[in-house]
Amino acid sequence: MTIKKAAVIGAGVMGAGIAAQLANAGIEVELLDRVDPKNPDNRSAIAEGAIAKLLKNKPASFMHKKFAKRVRPGNTEDDIARLKDCDIIIEAVFEDPKVKHDIFKKIDANRKPGAVVASNTSTIPLHDLLDGQSDALKKDFVITHFFNPPRYMRLLELITSQHNSQETIDTVTRFMDETVGKGVVHCHDTPGFIANRIGTFWIQCSINEAIDRDLTVEEADAIVGKPMGVPKTGIFGLVDLVGLDLMPHISASLLSKLPPEDGYVKIEKTYPVIEKMIADGYTGRKGKGGFYRLNDKREKMAVDLKTGAVRPSKKAKMQAAENSKKSGIKALVETKDKGGDYAWAVLKQTLAYTAEHAHEIAADINAVDEAMKLGYNWEKGPFELIDALGVDYVIKRMKQDGDKIPDLLQKAAGKSFYKVDNGKLHCMNAAGGYDEVKRPEGVLLLSDIKRGSKPLASNARTIKIPGVGKMDMGARIWDIGDGVLCVEFASTGNSLEFLTMKMLNKAADMIENGNGKYKAMVIHNEGENFSVGANLKLASMAVKAKQYWIVDKLLNKGQETLKRLKYAKFPVVSAPSGMALGGGCEILLHSHHVQAHAETYAGLVEAGVGLLPAWGGTTELLTRATQNPKLPKGPMPPVATVFETISTAKVATSAFEAKDLMYLRQSDGVTMNKARLLSDAKTKALEMVKDLKPELPHDMVLPGPSGAAALNMAVDGFFLKGAATSYDVVVSDKMAKVMTGGDKAGPGIIITQDYLRSLERENFMALVHDKRTLARIDKMITTNKPLREPPMTGVPAQKLRDDADKKGFVARAFAPVKNVFNKVCHRKPSNDNKNKGLTKDTKAKVNWPNIKKG
Amino acid sequence: MTESKKVVIAGYVRSPFTPAGKGELASVRPDDLVAQTVSGLVEKTGVDPKLIDDLKLGCAMPEGEQGLNMARLVVFEAGLPEEVGGVTINRFCGSSMQAIHDAAGAVSMGMSDAVICAGVESMTRVPMGGFNPQPNPELYKAVPGAYMGMGETAENVADKYKVTRKEQEEFSLKSQFKAAAAKKEGRFDNEIVPIKTPSGKIVSEDGCPRPDSTAEGLAKLKTAFKSDGSVTAGTSSPVTDGAAAVLVCSEEFALKHGLEILAEVKSFAVTGLDPTIMGMGPVPSTLKAMDKAGITMDDVAVVEMNEAFASQSIASQRELGIPEEKLNKDGGAIALGHPLGASGARITGKAAQLLHDDKSESEYAVSTMCIGQGQGIATVLKKYTPPAPSKKPAAAPATPKQ
Repeated sequence: MTIKKAAVIGAGVMGAGIAAQLANAGIEVELLDRVDPKNPDNRSAIAEGAIAKLLKNKPASFMHKKFAKRVRPGNTEDDIARLKDCDIIIEAVFEDPKVKHDIFKKIDANRKPGAVVASNTSTIPLHDLLDGQSDALKKDFVITHFFNPPRYMRLLELITSQHNSQETIDTVTRFMDETVGKGVVHCHDTPGFIANRIGTFWIQCSINEAIDRDLTVEEADAIVGKPMGVPKTGIFGLVDLVGLDLMPHISASLLSKLPPEDGYVKIEKTYPVIEKMIADGYTGRKGKGGFYRLNDKREKMAVDLKTGAVRPSKKAKMQAAENSKKSGIKALVETKDKGGDYAWAVLKQTLAYTAEHAHEIAADINAVDEAMKLGYNWEKGPFELIDALGVDYVIKRMKQDGDKIPDLLQKAAGKSFYKVDNGKLHCMNAAGGYDEVKRPEGVLLLSDIKRGSKPLASNARTIKIPGVGKMDMGARIWDIGDGVLCVEFASTGNSLEFLTMKMLNKAADMIENGNGKYKAMVIHNEGENFSVGANLKLASMAVKAKQYWIVDKLLNKGQETLKRLKYAKFPVVSAPSGMALGGGCEILLHSHHVQAHAETYAGLVEAGVGLLPAWGGTTELLTRATQNPKLPKGPMPPVATVFETISTAKVATSAFEAKDLMYLRQSDGVTMNKARLLSDAKTKALEMVKDLKPELPHDMVLPGPSGAAALNMAVDGFFLKGAATSYDVVVSDKMAKVMTGGDKAGPGIIITQDYLRSLERENFMALVHDKRTLARIDKMITTNKPLREPPMTGVPAQKLRDDADKKGFVARAFAPVKNVFNKVCHRKPSNDNKNKGLTKDTKAKVNWPNIKKG
Repeated sequence: MTESKKVVIAGYVRSPFTPAGKGELASVRPDDLVAQTVSGLVEKTGVDPKLIDDLKLGCAMPEGEQGLNMARLVVFEAGLPEEVGGVTINRFCGSSMQAIHDAAGAVSMGMSDAVICAGVESMTRVPMGGFNPQPNPELYKAVPGAYMGMGETAENVADKYKVTRKEQEEFSLKSQFKAAAAKKEGRFDNEIVPIKTPSGKIVSEDGCPRPDSTAEGLAKLKTAFKSDGSVTAGTSSPVTDGAAAVLVCSEEFALKHGLEILAEVKSFAVTGLDPTIMGMGPVPSTLKAMDKAGITMDDVAVVEMNEAFASQSIASQRELGIPEEKLNKDGGAIALGHPLGASGARITGKAAQLLHDDKSESEYAVSTMCIGQGQGIATVLKKYTPPAPSKKPAAAPATPKQ
């Protein structure tokens, strides 16, 4: 069975969020809630309201606003018959067994035979839910436990029963994995399943230890945060995010089902300070604030854990956290101070509890690790953490502390939980032996390949720069099989510089000169982001040292490299996920095909740092716009569209939105599940080997100076209004000069892409010479936020442009542009090239009317 | 050439005006919109289409769907005989008032008997500035006012003529309330031609007015054009889709064919002025037109002044000394909307209608508007009195067709 249509019963936060994610996946969804007793005129008001709220959610629940149309609202009384067309019906109503039992009966009576019925319960065991239900329902019933928010949290816990056929289990697994894009982790039917069972213990333990050890919330969060490989919100920040009031519910449900000897039951504790916060409405970010909150002056405040008093928040300085930055998690727990002791106390209890229960809650330890990584955003799962610390080290220290060593941990003594055998990852089983970690078909992870092989080429390195710190640079080339090479960036934030360009060229060389050994290139990074763009630190250093030639050389190198990829005779497929900004986005624009993870955030954001896309990005986007049949005719609409996108540094919030902005082509592919991205990209690359049609250069007619004037006029309006800063006026003027084809463009003039690239370079360099660009770059490097120049009134925008041209880099001295124009651009056949338009001579003769002001 | 003839306005209609982008007419092509309006005028006046000489169509952005000499295309669309000519006229916001002036000239000279003067703008479908704006870069540097955004000119007027934000908001509220009252009392029913959209829906009501506007609400709006300015979206005319049409003919023609005469066209004028304060255009143009007619504001019963912005409306009203009760009796563009090419025909037709219904002693009406790039345009209308029966016995029915 293939699932094509779904229903979600219950339009609360989870139900609505699930409906949105199903819609993102291209599924038609019936979203039903009860009849609104307060609204007799509109019986589906609750579901309708939920969709309206989804559209307003930030971060967005829908990957594209138009997907909201795939969700049809209704109510469970009038519209229950709609279930008969649905292949899966997901229940997400209130966590009350009675309410759920009634709903299941209603669903059962109205569904088509064989339709999957799934509950999104987080606390009620499957066997309790099935109590009193028909045999037919039992057969088709599973628990699909999403995490909040369903679009962004990758974990889906799947709980099945002996009543299910393998086909049902496979159908649901495939649907949630391939279509909905979730990481499906099969769980045993135990309280809290996997992630919340371990996660709740970890949170409680972190709170207990922080209070016992007299740590402030900031100190605790400085440890149980990045140093421990968990989200930087830290523990109290996380509770603020989840909601303080939700914790007692989860806790009560676990307590009611766990045996008294369970570790969680033993450490569970309530604190008057926290209870009072909940009572007073300080339930976290969704309420009036929580452990952290803003005061009237919008200053960040924090709660004193002992007294409940509120005081100004101050950043904690923890030596252990500093040590972990340099030498990892072991350095964290080895630091002999309250930070290191706290880290160890939390870790050892959490890891021991996990080891104790792993095989009770999951089939293998890898499922536990996956659940914590996908559901709680841990960088490493608990068993990977133990391996990172060393099994024997953990045992040794626990023994020193006089702790009981869990059986599973004891079995791993002298070994590790994971090992690589024959290039394949194995994990330890309950008996102490090893089983291969099997990936589902169509899942190809670069990390697996890296574990089992060496890069074909690498120039990855860490460079220490005085005053700047450590910086990872370079890239690696991997053989991902079947003749496909994968270029992986190894730099900080996957930023781009000479070394990354070198590896892209190297991979191209290997394919071109490899006698057919390699056929295609995939550019892919498995980490959080595809690439944050060009290495700004490097640019900043060069500019400060007035070594502008370095920047220009990098520009040239980038243009040459990306152009080479674009015109390559072998397929170049980019497979981005997360941010693909600036130069990262330009790589996408030059690829033959992009197979994008749905959660790809692409954007040409150079404006934010006072620059413009100059690795051919402006040229490529303009090329796409001029070929876009949806835009009105004439030279301006494509230019104006691209100008708006680039000058306002628009970032697409999904791969689907990126298509609207033309960062992606309509024909580019979208993969919902990140784990399948590389495999999909590789498949596409191999498909393209057969009949790759080489890209042809695309010439354009651009509006020239009159078009630039039109764009400047629009910017001047924004400047007057205060929406554009004084330097935005200058930056956008340079952008306008590029996009309109420069001074020589106009009707009848053919502008080539090469010429546009040279204009990119010229105007980029002009901006690099302006100290306001450096100020923007430095602000971005130090704070990760763009610098906005202070408001300026009473100055004509034209003066800002003129001043910048006077002070800045003299573009005329930039010989390459002139040469390129003479070589590659030409006027359409015409007898007289001169005296058309305003040349210098005619300009003097034009007498503009002398208009008196006022 | 014959002796100059008396020119009259013998009919006025308009489409509903709806907000660009989101209004109900957003889906209607401008040529379709004005064709339906023109048909409505023909039907309402009862004029024999075969006797129309020309269709003069004002449009401020004649390109895209408004391009290719739309007037001639509208002749075909509106089902007028192919012998009827069509010319598209562009004087930006003054376009369809210019159409009336051109027609009046032709009729007065005896070169035309009857001309349909229409105007249209779909600001949804053809953006202000057009699809391919390509200003002269050197001129933009030398004379920035030539290309200045309208909002900025409104701010300049507010500064120069010391019009406060509060005054602008009070003016806007009045416009909204007058329009709301006119609608409630059915005073638009007679002028609006229902428009059929591509989906088959009939649109017969204006979409722009905000009768529930409040002083507090207006005071909260952010400035729309200048960070430290005073002009807001609430004190500017909304971007609008709409069309309007009037029938201009000779008195003789109207009488012969039994048309109802609304007013006589007495004089008209255009003037240029500093483009950075283009909103003051009504002042010199109205003075010039009144001078041509030999009247003063005291002789005027009705003034229809296009409310591009509250700031320029207030400053122009003050400079011209227009009494409150005479100005925009049924509300103005701030409430109703300002489809650029259509507004001149609307306010002139409206002025004729109001003058026709006016019971006061005053004999005249003025319609006037400001025009981007620094121009003003004005028309003076006179109450129509039929010729004394003794002079021309039984040449035409004494009572025009209702």
